[in-house]
This record gives sequence, C-alpha cells and structure tokens, in this order.
Amino acid sequence: MTEIDQFESVFKSAGKTLFQHEEVSIEKVLVVCDGDQAATENFAASCQTFLAVLGKQVQWLVVAGSQFNGIDQLLQLVEQHSPDLVCTHRYLHMKAREYPFSLGSYLDVLTQVSTNPVLVMPHPERISEGSSHQNTNRVMAITSHFTGDYHLASCAAHLTQSGGELWLTHVEDQATLDQYLTIISKIPEIDTDTARKALPEQLLKEPHDYIESCREGLREAGVEVEVINVVVLGHHLRDYKTLIVDHEIDLLVLNTKDEGQLAMHGVAYSLTVELRDIPMFLL
Amino acid sequence: MTNFPGSLFASLDHVPAGVTILFGCLLVGLVLCLALEEKLHAKKSLIVGMFAIVCLLLATGFGILPYQPVIVGSHSLVEHSSVDGEYHDDEHAVNFHADATVGDEAGRHDSSVHVEGHEISMPVYIPAIDWGVIAIILGSSLFVDVTSKSGLFTWIAIKVTKRSGGDPLVLLWFYGAMTVIFSAVLNNVTAMIIVGSLTAVSLERLNRKQLLLGFLLIEGLLTNIGGLLTLISSVPNIIVGTAAGISFMTFFVKAAPYVVVSTIVTLWMGAKIFRIQRLSTDEQKQEAAQLVAGFDEKDGIESWSFFWFGAIMLCLFIITIATTSVLPIVSDLQIGFVALAFGCIMLLRFKSEVDNFYKAIDWDLLGFFMALFIVIYVMEHAGVLNVIGSGIESVLTDLKATPAHATDSSILLVGAALFSSVTDNIPLAAMLANILSSLGTPTDSGLWWSIIFGANLGGNITPIGSASTLVAVTIIHKHKLHLTFGTFVKMAAPYAAVQILMATIYVLLFLR
Repeated sequence: MTEIDQFESVFKSAGKTLFQHEEVSIEKVLVVCDGDQAATENFAASCQTFLAVLGKQVQWLVVAGSQFNGIDQLLQLVEQHSPDLVCTHRYLHMKAREYPFSLGSYLDVLTQVSTNPVLVMPHPERISEGSSHQNTNRVMAITSHFTGDYHLASCAAHLTQSGGELWLTHVEDQATLDQYLTIISKIPEIDTDTARKALPEQLLKEPHDYIESCREGLREAGVEVEVINVVVLGHHLRDYKTLIVDHEIDLLVLNTKDEGQLAMHGVAYSLTVELRDIPMFLL
Repeated sequence: MTNFPGSLFASLDHVPAGVTILFGCLLVGLVLCLALEEKLHAKKSLIVGMFAIVCLLLATGFGILPYQPVIVGSHSLVEHSSVDGEYHDDEHAVNFHADATVGDEAGRHDSSVHVEGHEISMPVYIPAIDWGVIAIILGSSLFVDVTSKSGLFTWIAIKVTKRSGGDPLVLLWFYGAMTVIFSAVLNNVTAMIIVGSLTAVSLERLNRKQLLLGFLLIEGLLTNIGGLLTLISSVPNIIVGTAAGISFMTFFVKAAPYVVVSTIVTLWMGAKIFRIQRLSTDEQKQEAAQLVAGFDEKDGIESWSFFWFGAIMLCLFIITIATTSVLPIVSDLQIGFVALAFGCIMLLRFKSEVDNFYKAIDWDLLGFFMALFIVIYVMEHAGVLNVIGSGIESVLTDLKATPAHATDSSILLVGAALFSSVTDNIPLAAMLANILSSLGTPTDSGLWWSIIFGANLGGNITPIGSASTLVAVTIIHKHKLHLTFGTFVKMAAPYAAVQILMATIYVLLFLR
C-alpha cells in the first residue's frame, strides 16, 4: 500500500498555503530613548525620517530617558499610550555597548511582553555618526518558517516605500539538514539517495511557493513593491549578513515571539544581537 | 467463444472419486485461506502459490495431468478435408487419415484439427496460464503507472476538487463520478488509491475530517460499480468477457446504463446516510473556496511535454482498446498486446530508468493470477470443476437456453455476489467462466452477465470482497478511523442490497 502514501504526498505537496494580504495600520508611534529631551527629540526626528513611508497622519509620542527608571515603568508607559508601534534603540539606560551580547534588559523584556511591534533603531550615537539608513527602500523579511505567515509579509510590505524592494527570504539551515541526512543514511528502510535529493528540494519548495503567492497577493492588493524571492540552504547568520550587506538592506522585519518559550525566538535572537547597525522591526 | 486455457474436454472417467474429493477439499481450503488472507498475514500470491505447488505435485503423483508434448507452428483445417499424416489437437498427437470437422453443433468446443507444426518442451503448468489475461494486467498496470508520473491523473483530480469550490456535497458527487471513471479507464485499485488519497488530503484541508469515513466508504463501493463499465475495468470482466467473447464496445454499451443509474443511486444514498450537505452561508462557501484554491494542479507536473504525451497516449490507449476487435492486425494480437505495447511506448520517456517501473509492478497480483490459473487447471483435470458444474446444472434450469431463464440469471448473479463477498472474486470468476464455457453456455446468454455483475458487486458486501474496498479500508485505518469488518458490512449492506437488486432487474430486463 505504499502507493497510497505516494499519492497522498503528491496531493499534500500540491495543497499550498496562499498568502492573504492583511491591512496593517500604524497611526500612533511611541518613541522611547534613554537620552535627555533634546537627544530624544533628535532620535524621534531621525525615526520619523526613516519611517516616512507611514505618512504624515501618524501621531508621534516621545518618552525621554528621564521619564522611566526601570522596566515596570517603561511597560506602564507603553500600556498607557497604547501605540501601534514602539520605536526605540538597544541598551536603554545601559552602558553595555562594549559587551554587545544582548539587546539590553529593557528591550529583551519589551519585545516579549508587549503585544505591539517594536522598531529597534541603531543606537543614537551611531545615527549621529552618520547612519546610511535614511529610508525603507529595501526591506527584508526574515523567518525560519515563512509559509503561512500572512502578518510578517503584510507588515514588511506596509513598511516598504512605494516602488521599493521587498526581500522575502528564507534560509534553511544546512547543518540541521546534514544532520538529518546523516541519520537517514543509517536507516535501511529509507532510500538515502532519494532523501538527499528530495528533502532539500521540498524544504525549499514550500517557502518558495509561498513567497510567489505573496507576490501575487500583494499585486492583487495593489501594493506597489518589487518582491524578491530568496530561498536558499545555508547558514542563518552568515547568509543573512551577506544578503543584507550585498543588497544594502534598510530594514529587517522579524518574528521574535515563540509560543513555546519566554525567550526570544531562536533565529531572531541571534540576528538581533549580531546585526547591530541595521534597523529591525520586531513582531 | 474463447476456450479457457488448458480447458479439459478429454474424458475424466479415469479420475477416481477419491482424487476428485481430495482436490475439492484443496479448493475449499484455498477459498478459506483467501478469505482469511488478513488473518494469515500472507499475500495472495504466496497463498495460491503454495496451493498450486501442492496441487501440481499431487496431480502428477495421481497421473491426472496431460504430460504430452506441446505442438507449435501448426495450422488448423477449417473445412472437411482429407489429409494423410499426423494431426495434433490440444492434448493429443496421433496419426490420422480421416475427414475432420471444426466445431460441434453447440459451438462449444473448437475441436479443430491441426496439421504440421513441431514439438517443443514446455512445463505442464505453462499452458495452464491464460497469458492473454496476464498480458492485459501487466501491460495496463505498466501503462497506468508510467502515465501517472506525467501528473495527468493528479491534475484531473485537483481540477475537479477546485471546481467543487470545497462544498462537501458537490465534492462527494465530483469524487464519486471521478472514482467511477478512473475505475473504468484505469482499474478500480488505482482509482481508489488516487481518489481516496485526494479525499483524505482535501477533507483535512477543508477541516471536515469527520466526513472522511463516509466519503471513503462510498468511493470504495463506487469502484466496484465503475469496475463494471468496460471489459478491462476489472479482472472478473477480463476473465469472463474474454471467455464469452464479449468485445470491448459491446461490454461498454451493455454495462454503461446500469453503471450510470447505480452511481447516481449510490451517491444519493451516501449523501443521505452520512448527512453530507451543501454549505449554507456565503462565508462558509468563501472560506471553502479559498482553501481548495490553494491546490496547485501543476505542482505534480515535471514536464509539460510529457504531460501532453501522457494525455494523448491515454486517449489513444482507450480508443485502441475499444476498437481492438475490429482493427486489422491488432485484432489478431488482441488486447494484451495493445496494453503491453502502450506500456512499452510510455517507458520511452524513462528509457534509462525503466527498471524502477519494473520494480513497481504488482508482482503479488501477477503471481496470484498465474498460480490461480494453475490451480484451476489442476482442478479441471481432477474433475472438481465437473462436479461443481454438475451441481450448478442441477440448481439451474437450463444453462444453454437463450434467453437465459430468469431464475437461472437471478440465482447465478446473487450466488456469485454472495460467494465473491467472502472470498476473492477472481477465482470465482475464473471458475464460473470455465464451467459455463465447458457446459456449452452460448456467448449471448445473460448468464455471463450474471457472473460479471455478481462477481463485481459482491465486493461491496464485505471489505474483503474486492481489492479496491480493501484499499478503501486501508486508507480509513491509515487515518485512525475505527471500522471493523462487522461495521463495514453493516454500513455497506443497504448500498450492496440496492445495487444487487438493481443489477438483477437490469440483467433480467435487458441482458438476458
């Protein structure tokens, strides 16, 4: 009865997840900075410039460093203002730039507790040194499981300037695949050559098909962006870094929440810690 | 009329009654083992193969098998003639100088006299096998297997699913019709595998897994209805149709009206009994349509050129099979050649990896048939089929009457259905075809149709009655749905009763 399984596999493969465009609304933005009022105003101004794509109807609220002292207070402020987006930077009230092994305790908590998305801009000092990210002309969405994620692609599309490039990317971890293939090569019931050929093909096919569906869905929704489909096997961090640098990406959009854990989602955590010079929109 | 291979018309007077009883017991044992195939955890080919070995050993030991040389390259005398020399019939080679006449009055025995030719050495069990039937099964399965790699069947299946808009009732009717057509064009097992797999996937996608049992059961029952549509749709059709000399087109024209009506009635009953209804709100319809829209019919197509080649070849295959009996040259080579030839042509696409398709051939099925033909051949020489034939003759009024007696047609149809419900319908069809052939039943008798309808529809009474219902049950169990032998019988009983009743009326009114 192996034929039953074969045909079920064919039909399952043919059953694809189609992208459904979600309307994203960002009308109120809360800018949080750990500097004084002037520094915070400057930071807010650079955020406004960077997020010009949101339009002029957006209400911008500003919280300076003196307005909060502790994570509880910051969370209360966020709850009080209930913004659609929190715009901030890493290492709030911390002098940890020399030891950049996290986002800082404020952001670590904020990204997981808050239901609102958080835009993490490069540190204000880096911006003042002359950040190259002036707009959102090239936006890259990153996830370890793209298929079926309507929200991520919709948000990324919403943040991309009209006529800009929307990079929808999926890097499948080569090391994990190699590990599975090594195990498969030790199981006599599974044909190793077939697995070696079919497994990577199928792993890449699903996100590839979904991204194509995103392209079609966004076109139908009238979103004028150029969708670029990147689905590869490789090393998460190394390949994303290469893509970001080579294509001069302006903004990364990532999922950070994981229902199964309190900590930030695995791939997102390593990317947010390692990629410190690029704005990140954390969902 | 085509004689059954190795048909024994020589006198069986020399077979002692004890030997016949012994082989009769072996036949009963075989039937019981096939009925208990699942319990024995043994494949059909092995079960029947073991019986074939025992039968051949015993029959040789008792000296009831004809170990004469086989003559090939001879030609028959078709008119009264007077020839000096040596002549050969199927069983004997003797010198003669006499007038020879072909056929007897009943037309039941092709007693043609053969002249010339030469002897070859051939094991006794080789001519026992109906190689025409084996060629049809081997060629068709090869053709269907290679053609399915083109993505043609999955393309059709997904197109149908999308056209339904995801509405459960529409889906049931579409899948039902597709099951019948696929059963008729391909074979009922392949049809059940394709449609059953798609049903499981699409109902899961539509979040309606609670309907899966009903869908699969109805589809399983419909495979045996679809299996009635053409001469090559099921093995009993091939065996009985070949024995009765029914052409492809005659078979189709006579069986199609019943298949259409029975399909509609089965689907209507299925929808009522399993409460499969249309979606009521626009929201539900929109959601279902979106879900099935995600199916991509092009996904399984690796090469469009091969897809179209497969589609054209399938059409040509059906047309050639349908017209084999009237096509010059091809008519002499018969349907088995057509099936094998089309299978080979399709393999051209995979010329460097044809061995993969050879590995995928259902050797269990082919081994089962070959062993079964050998067992029946031995039973014939042991006089068992004569005894069964006499039993049938004593129960029925007149096997040679045209039109057949109403009671004879009804008893044979219902009896065949009941018998094939508890064991495989193929040995039943092979045995009854052989017996009717030997007893001189005319080719236009409705009794042949009684066997065809009974043997096919009997598969709908129990899950072991036919290979396709067994596939349906396998898919049901694969999806963790509870269905015992008893539950199947209980659920299928109303359908089977209506289908057999309708078939009896149909045969009595139109085919007798």
